[in-house]
Amino acid sequence: MRNLLNFILKYNTWLIFIFYVLLSCILLFNGRNIYHQSVYLTSANSVCSSVYGLTNNITGYFNLREVNDNLQQQNAMLQNEILNLQNRLKYYATMIDTDSIQISDLQNNRFNYVIASVINNSVHRPRNYFTINKGGNDGIRPGMGVVDQNGVVGIVNVVGKNSSRIISLLNTTQHFSVKIKGTNYIGSLSWKEGNPNIAYIEEMAQHMMFHVGDTIVTSGFSTTFPEGIPVGTVLSRVKTSDDNFFTLKVKLASDFPQLGIVRVIKDNFKTELDSLQNFDAINN
Amino acid sequence: MSREIIHYSILFISLLLIQVLICNHIVLFNVATPIIFIYFIVRLPMHLSTNWIITLSFLLGLLVDIFSDTLGMNALACTTLAMMRRKIFALYNNREDRFKEITPCISTLGIMTFSKYLITMSLCYCALIFLIEYFSLSHITIMLIKIVSSTILSFIIILGIDSLMAKQS
Repeated sequence: MRNLLNFILKYNTWLIFIFYVLLSCILLFNGRNIYHQSVYLTSANSVCSSVYGLTNNITGYFNLREVNDNLQQQNAMLQNEILNLQNRLKYYATMIDTDSIQISDLQNNRFNYVIASVINNSVHRPRNYFTINKGGNDGIRPGMGVVDQNGVVGIVNVVGKNSSRIISLLNTTQHFSVKIKGTNYIGSLSWKEGNPNIAYIEEMAQHMMFHVGDTIVTSGFSTTFPEGIPVGTVLSRVKTSDDNFFTLKVKLASDFPQLGIVRVIKDNFKTELDSLQNFDAINN
Repeated sequence: MSREIIHYSILFISLLLIQVLICNHIVLFNVATPIIFIYFIVRLPMHLSTNWIITLSFLLGLLVDIFSDTLGMNALACTTLAMMRRKIFALYNNREDRFKEITPCISTLGIMTFSKYLITMSLCYCALIFLIEYFSLSHITIMLIKIVSSTILSFIIILGIDSLMAKQS
């Protein structure tokens, strides 16, 4: 016993050191499991989000001109689209009999949006996250998709009361199901670190046709994103060692270093669809 | 003594805030990130027991981690740096006993000795943090570039902070 005490007293510094190193390693390697239980160890906790919120009050004005330009362009595009659709509706309305079955509005109400502003952002690490100023109180849940005015930016990861942490699209561990607009060629988009404007779609089938400049959109295969949200445009084809598949280089639509206002997508059918999938799993 | 505690608490909080609010977002030439909060570990008085130094460093690292969503990385690197501190200090001050009870800064060590001590500390920290972050040698070129450039940038900024504080006192 005395020997043990002597040992502890003699090497107490080393013991404390080893204790802290072990603690850090547990956090480092097992962090993802702890994340799900605790919001306190992420930037979505109340102290961090209020500090970031305060600074965002000042820095949030810096990129407004650029954001404004983007919104104007988007607005013009949407107005054009509305005019086109209205014209087409008028045309079809004359062809449909009034007593035929009306198309249900249900699909239109499937997705709701929560507007939030980005209060902390990073793009230079291999695994990037950002924090937004809306949380569980506003109905945000883990797994929801996040978009900005240009396209997809991430997926909700940890939710605090009034803030949430989002896994950025610029995170090497995150994959997104995408397709080329107007086709059914599905691929998996992921970011390889370095340039915050470039991502890659891997395992595209060899017979697939594409043109440089084609738009990449979400596939709609999950409840996270609706179908057809823009992600980026095709830049070029990258050679790979596998002959059956190839990789596409994609220029991302969103300007990640300057994220300002984002929208979180709420899928009203999510619980229904998930329970259907579970039902299937139980029956098999 | 209590004045010293207040002094170091203010230093702790201000370095933490400057790091997470400003320095984390600076990436010069797409590679160099200034890491200035290690100035706290550099500046802790030499007579403070190693247990305290390790504990404070771990806490500082953990707080930076929580703010920047890099759980465990900075905590591990800070703890290791705190353990290496005395050895690094002894590299440049081995023979003189009068250095045993001082606060390392320009005015006590002189600019040459302090610079050598500071650049070694920054180099150790940057090497640790980028090794932990990448955790493989597949990106070794970009990793080495990041280590060297971040070391130089951190060194220059911390030296600036230290000379500012020397002028005030």
